[in-house]
Amino acid sequence: MSEEKFDPVIVGFFCNWCTSAAADLAGTARLHYPPNIRPIRVMCSSTVDPVYLIRALQEGADATILGGCHPGDCHYITGNYKARRRVAIVKTVLKSLGFDDTRVLLEWISGSEGPKFARVMNEYTSYIKERGPCDFKYIDSLGGD
Amino acid sequence: MVSENELLKKFLKDAFEKGLIEAVMAPAATEDSYTYALVTKKEDVDKLTPIAPVMQWNGADMLRRITKLKKSERKLFAILRPCEARTFKELVKFNQINPENIIVLTYDCPGTIHARNYKHDKVPAEELIAEIKKGGKNEKIRESCKVCEYPVPIPGVGDIGMGIVNTTEPVFFSLSDTGKEFLSAMQIQEGSRDADSWVKMHRERREKWLEEERITGGRKGIEEFLSSCLNCHNCKDMCPICFCKECFFEDHTVFDYESPKYFNWADDKDGIRLPTDKTLFHIGRLIHMGTSCIGCGLCQQACPMDIPLYRLFGIVGNDLQKVFDYKPGVNDDIPPVMDFREDELHEFEGLFGGEE
Repeated sequence: MSEEKFDPVIVGFFCNWCTSAAADLAGTARLHYPPNIRPIRVMCSSTVDPVYLIRALQEGADATILGGCHPGDCHYITGNYKARRRVAIVKTVLKSLGFDDTRVLLEWISGSEGPKFARVMNEYTSYIKERGPCDFKYIDSLGGD
Repeated sequence: MVSENELLKKFLKDAFEKGLIEAVMAPAATEDSYTYALVTKKEDVDKLTPIAPVMQWNGADMLRRITKLKKSERKLFAILRPCEARTFKELVKFNQINPENIIVLTYDCPGTIHARNYKHDKVPAEELIAEIKKGGKNEKIRESCKVCEYPVPIPGVGDIGMGIVNTTEPVFFSLSDTGKEFLSAMQIQEGSRDADSWVKMHRERREKWLEEERITGGRKGIEEFLSSCLNCHNCKDMCPICFCKECFFEDHTVFDYESPKYFNWADDKDGIRLPTDKTLFHIGRLIHMGTSCIGCGLCQQACPMDIPLYRLFGIVGNDLQKVFDYKPGVNDDIPPVMDFREDELHEFEGLFGGEE
């Protein structure tokens, strides 16, 4: 790992109504964003139980992004407020135990913000590239760093 | 002078006689330990030990079982420790207990002995009580009892409080309107006692404990801490806050895999530990119940491998509760997982979280 250039895997859970639409928009506008992002379309950011975020980190993702509609714009009225509480919980737990809590990112990206989507993905990927592999990766295995 | 237990038994018998209660739930001695018992007759009160030196189960969990399908049909008088009374309050908020027809009495808690230690070294309740009367606390009690944040009855949590600390004779005082009516019907004068310095002693110990026993070091720290874990899920079974009928971590559609998956994992991860997802279970459980962790410490008592689990759930739970400015079971605030605000927690959103 150390000799090769570090190529992170970032799992994105994107809400169907906003962030996934923004990803489409970024694509049709031919905006460049890194192939490190592995998007998963979910119906709402609040359907993502925090356990799925840490599960992704355990199974080899170096970071996770939860993307939802801007506060007040949730398709299901209050879903993103609940998602924010859940992200606050998972980040606090990670930080408390001495893990890097920036491995979980919560972003509000609306359906019309294709450029913002590309910018966030670019910035976050280069940030994670700098930080290196996640400490949570492959927990409970014999390998890993 | 009568002992606190005799006094409480007399109190219960009087209440039965006056027709104020129709059933009592309180601890009762068994050969090697103490269990909760439900009695409905005045004659049976003598079989109880209202203040027991051992807490095998959380009493609020027992009340949850009793009222799970139907509210209490009889006037039930429950004697709970302060931590159990807080659990009771928390579970009422989660709609897990129907508080109707239940009167809760709680007291200055002398702490409890680890159930397994008690089997070999039977410390009587009177010895523990004698210690708190002098404003101290026995050193044989469980870790979570030593660092208890609220070892005393809190107004609004439960109905009746019994003060033992710093008094020669125990005093009764009301914690709610129901309790007030109850005590006046019993013709008991409400008293008071000063327990502030006693509580302060606990809080100081707690602050020190929060600092010293924290699990740090990320992957290495948590893997070392849980290295002897059997994955038996006892901690989850004993946790009063883990009340879900179907636990995510026992869902076989999520945690059963086909054999190629195991081999692929072993390929990728240079070998995997079996059973899988052990750390994920603990961290996941922490995420699910941490905001409402009462601090009864039953997870630690239930652990067959003697892992000091309360250091994980208690300390991280304390961090979580600070984020939401929430104290489980002490007031009427809604639990963080059931509620949200429109304008809050902005430090957790956006690029790079709260770090830069």
